[in-house]
Amino acid sequence: MIASMMLAAINWHSVLFLVFAGLACAFAVAVVVADNIVRMAFYLVLSLGSTAGLFFLAGAEFIGSMQLMIYVGGTLVLLVFGVMLTAQAPFISIKTSTNDRVLAGVVGAALLVVLLQAAFSVEAWRRPGVGEVANPSATPLGMALLGVRVDDPPAGTSPSLVRSGYLLPFEIVSVHLLVVLVGAAYLARAKRRRTPRGIETADVAASGGPR
Amino acid sequence: MNPLNPMHAPTVLASLFAVNLLSDPVSVTHYLVVGAILFTAGIVCMTVKRNALGVLMGIELVLNGANVNFVAFSSPYLQGEQTASIGLDGQAIALFVILLAAAEAAVALAITLNFYNNHSTVDIDQADDLKG
Amino acid sequence: METASQLSMLLGLAWLTPLVAFVAILFFGPRMGQHGKNAAWVSTAAIVASLMLSLAAMGTWLAAHPVQGVVHAGHVGHAEDSHAESHEAQRPAAVHAPVAYSGDWYTLYQGGNLKLTIGWYIDALTVLMFVVVTCIATCIHIYAAGYMHDELHDVTDHEVHLAGGGDLHRPGRFSRFFQALSLFCFSMLGILIAGNLAMVFIFWELVGICSWFLIGFYYERTSASNAANKAFIVNRIGDFGMLIGLMALWGALGTLHFADSVERAPDGSMNVRQGLLSLVRPAEGGHALRVPDGMVKFAAAAAVAQISIDHADRPRDAASELASRLDDWRSMGMGRWLLFIAGIGIFCGCIGKSAQFPLFVWLPDAMEGPTPVSALVHSATMVAAGVYLVGRFFPVLTPDVLLVIAYVGAITLFIAATIALVATDIKRVLAYSTVSQLGYMMLALGVGGWVAGLFHLVTHAFFKSLLFLCSGSVIHACHTNDMRKMGGLAKKMPWTAGTMLVGCLAIIGAGVPFVIGLSGYYSKDAILAQALAFSQANPTHWILYAAVAGGALLTAFYMFRLWFLTFAGVPRDHHIAEHAHESPTVMVAPLVVLAVLAVVAGWTFPGGFGVANLLEQARPAGTAEATTGGFVFGGVTIPAEHESHVGPIHVTATLTAFATAAVGVLLAAVMYLWRFVSPVVVAYLFRPVYRFLAGRWYFDELYHAVFVVPVLGIASLASGTDRGVIDRIIDGIAWTARQLAGFDAWIDRTLVDGLVNATAHATWNAGLTLKQLQTGHLRQYVMFIVIGTVALFVLASLLFRCSLAG
Repeated sequence: MIASMMLAAINWHSVLFLVFAGLACAFAVAVVVADNIVRMAFYLVLSLGSTAGLFFLAGAEFIGSMQLMIYVGGTLVLLVFGVMLTAQAPFISIKTSTNDRVLAGVVGAALLVVLLQAAFSVEAWRRPGVGEVANPSATPLGMALLGVRVDDPPAGTSPSLVRSGYLLPFEIVSVHLLVVLVGAAYLARAKRRRTPRGIETADVAASGGPR
Repeated sequence: MNPLNPMHAPTVLASLFAVNLLSDPVSVTHYLVVGAILFTAGIVCMTVKRNALGVLMGIELVLNGANVNFVAFSSPYLQGEQTASIGLDGQAIALFVILLAAAEAAVALAITLNFYNNHSTVDIDQADDLKG
Repeated sequence: METASQLSMLLGLAWLTPLVAFVAILFFGPRMGQHGKNAAWVSTAAIVASLMLSLAAMGTWLAAHPVQGVVHAGHVGHAEDSHAESHEAQRPAAVHAPVAYSGDWYTLYQGGNLKLTIGWYIDALTVLMFVVVTCIATCIHIYAAGYMHDELHDVTDHEVHLAGGGDLHRPGRFSRFFQALSLFCFSMLGILIAGNLAMVFIFWELVGICSWFLIGFYYERTSASNAANKAFIVNRIGDFGMLIGLMALWGALGTLHFADSVERAPDGSMNVRQGLLSLVRPAEGGHALRVPDGMVKFAAAAAVAQISIDHADRPRDAASELASRLDDWRSMGMGRWLLFIAGIGIFCGCIGKSAQFPLFVWLPDAMEGPTPVSALVHSATMVAAGVYLVGRFFPVLTPDVLLVIAYVGAITLFIAATIALVATDIKRVLAYSTVSQLGYMMLALGVGGWVAGLFHLVTHAFFKSLLFLCSGSVIHACHTNDMRKMGGLAKKMPWTAGTMLVGCLAIIGAGVPFVIGLSGYYSKDAILAQALAFSQANPTHWILYAAVAGGALLTAFYMFRLWFLTFAGVPRDHHIAEHAHESPTVMVAPLVVLAVLAVVAGWTFPGGFGVANLLEQARPAGTAEATTGGFVFGGVTIPAEHESHVGPIHVTATLTAFATAAVGVLLAAVMYLWRFVSPVVVAYLFRPVYRFLAGRWYFDELYHAVFVVPVLGIASLASGTDRGVIDRIIDGIAWTARQLAGFDAWIDRTLVDGLVNATAHATWNAGLTLKQLQTGHLRQYVMFIVIGTVALFVLASLLFRCSLAG
């Protein structure tokens, strides 16, 4: 009875939100806390995946999809590549001094307090909304990217305001990605590797210094 | 459920909260809290981690926190009628953030690998040649 | 070519030739031959050329103006009775002005009234003086070529002691000597030929400078340089008076020329500018002396101004009234003081130049120069320039001025003669003798004996230069000037002794009375005669004659004292006597020449040629007759010179001259040759007198006390003020400035620099401090970003009360 009552009263949206938010936060904290770089990478993947869920819940399905595809599936994979390339034994777990961690913790806490205070300060944001989207689709976003705004303006926007499209940023980002591609490829080309500072292997010493 | 029954306390508590949390719809504030936590975690990660890739992960967390905020502001579900969400703009911004995060991660990784090639270490504490 | 231009050309060339030698030696002297040896011959060649030109000029003059054997100075073959008629015949001619040529070569400056020119005035006196000066100069040049041979190599001067010990060692200055000698000849001849007083003054000073050069030839010796300075300064004192005279003449008369000059006026007519001689002794009135119009107008300036005011609108009336009043003023005596002052002024210059009292102190010290210098400059020529100028200027001198000249001459004569009695330096004796003889000449001119005085000038030139050259020869042989160390040198130096004896006899006026004599006999005779005539005409001034006669006695005494001490008797210093030797021919030859001249200079040769007759041709207008005049000292009668050559005056004078000379020689022989009376005993007996004379009348000490000490006192006062007051003030100002500067420096260093440095340090330290922020640790940078953001946010939220959304 109570269960069904409770069940009926349960807002599944909120439940799912709690689940995803909890996961995201937990794994984010786990990234911070973990020492092992590989584990950190994994926790990050999970955290960002949960974030994608949050996106879906907020009605930004396209963004959520893009999050999963580009962010998690591309960027983080790239990161994992990097982790794998540099995961030598000494570098997998590099410990920070306790002082630094305490200081960082204090500073982070202060920042968190500030942000939370900001989040809770605006009364209008605390009222939950009940807006419904008639036909959720990605068309408005796609059209906006092509420079045409077909979405309804938000309530309260004055009709004389011209809302701009996102064609130019779209093009810029395209070129930007190309440049980044070329640049990254050049930067990370194969070069002669030298021994790290302070670490001299036996054969290097025998051969009279770095080659 | 008997509220005084200790075995049911958690459920009761949860339900008490759940009555609030589970039944009430989520507002922007909830999302902002998440965004804040992600952001803070990212900052702390950037500050604490000695591994360059760890720092990169922190950066990703920060960007994500920002994305959460943007999406929350753009969501039609979360805003009431009194306030207007920023609608599509928020989603567009979030999209671009993702793209730029990708680009930035690529470059940062290239730098890290370069650094790794030159110094044979990813410990950024060793990267203090530019000290004053 | 007419006589005037011929004479001016000849004498002009004769005058300029030594200048050419001077310039040549000035530029090339040390390079002429080895050590400049040939400079002597250049100089000598120049002066010989001058001599030739002068003789040519003499010939031209005699051709144009033959000498008449009329004057009684030479008694060769003239009977007593012929004197009277020839005397009569001569009288009218003497009333006329003498023949003289004048002209200008070059106008230095012409502005308003003043016209300064380089010009000539040539009469018989000029020509005669040219011959005399160039002849003596030639002899002395040749003599000096031998005498100065020491200067051909490096010289060690034993009279100059260096501060570090030892004697001065210096290179020889042979060519310099002849350079100065040539310049001197040029200057002296310039005085002789000068046509106006300004030119005379220019060359007067030039001669003074040359004398300074030559006296100070051995300039490293303090005594020599002091003597040179003394000569120049004392001369300048006389020149001060001369300038006053020049100013009086020019201011009142507007001209300094001797003779008239004709010039073309702008409208084409010929304008006659009157010279001094014709202004003071105009032809109308028989060349009698009268105060010229200019001086009368000058003295009556107030009345002149009144006349021009009265007749302001009618200048012609003013001029005629002026002319009529002039004679009244002149008879009242207007302007005579100005003429007197003009004459005295010019004479002051002569006092300085001819070493008269009181400016004679420089001549004995001038003996520091080499002996040829003493012979040429300080016996025969430069010192004679003063006498020459008095002679040239004679027509302008009033009887009062002439009386002053006579007395100055008399005083000088006496003082110098007495000092010469006890002097022991051979050149000093001759120097004082020169001073004394110059006094004779001045006295002669002062009592009206124009021919007598200038005659004595000529003869004195010959025998005094001879005496000096002989003494130079002795000094050269004995290396000492001190007569006390000499004696008995006649055997070793026969030529020198003989020529010096001739000179001594000439100076005392030795001769057979009424028959024949050496040159000095005639000139001294003339002076004595004129002095006697004067004292007979003016009994109050009898002392002038006494001075002349007494002077003759003293002259004879000291000259023969000199000769006996030097050449006769037993040598007093055997070392010197042993090393004494006759001088080389180059030095002895001029002695002989001059000795011959000293003998014959007074003679009148057949045809009438003689110095006295030549001088008579140049007698100034209006001086042949006796004149009475003068207002300052009461009336003075100046007897005619002709009168003194006849009758009892002449006899008395001749006998007096002979007697005094004989007594003098006898006394000298008694004391110094036969040693009957010991000079030491005499000196002891008259101790105070001896000391006074040996101390040279203490003139140097007197001048030192009266002039030098006060000037030095004023100078030390001035320098003390300068050092103590002015320098202290300046130093004080400087000290203050330094203190201020130090303070400024302290401010600059401490405050300004300190400020700048502090800023720099602060910046540096800030940089050092801030540098520590850049640790290079990326995580730390992130931390700062975060902290900064948090802080900004907190600040913003505190400061800005605005809602964050909407």
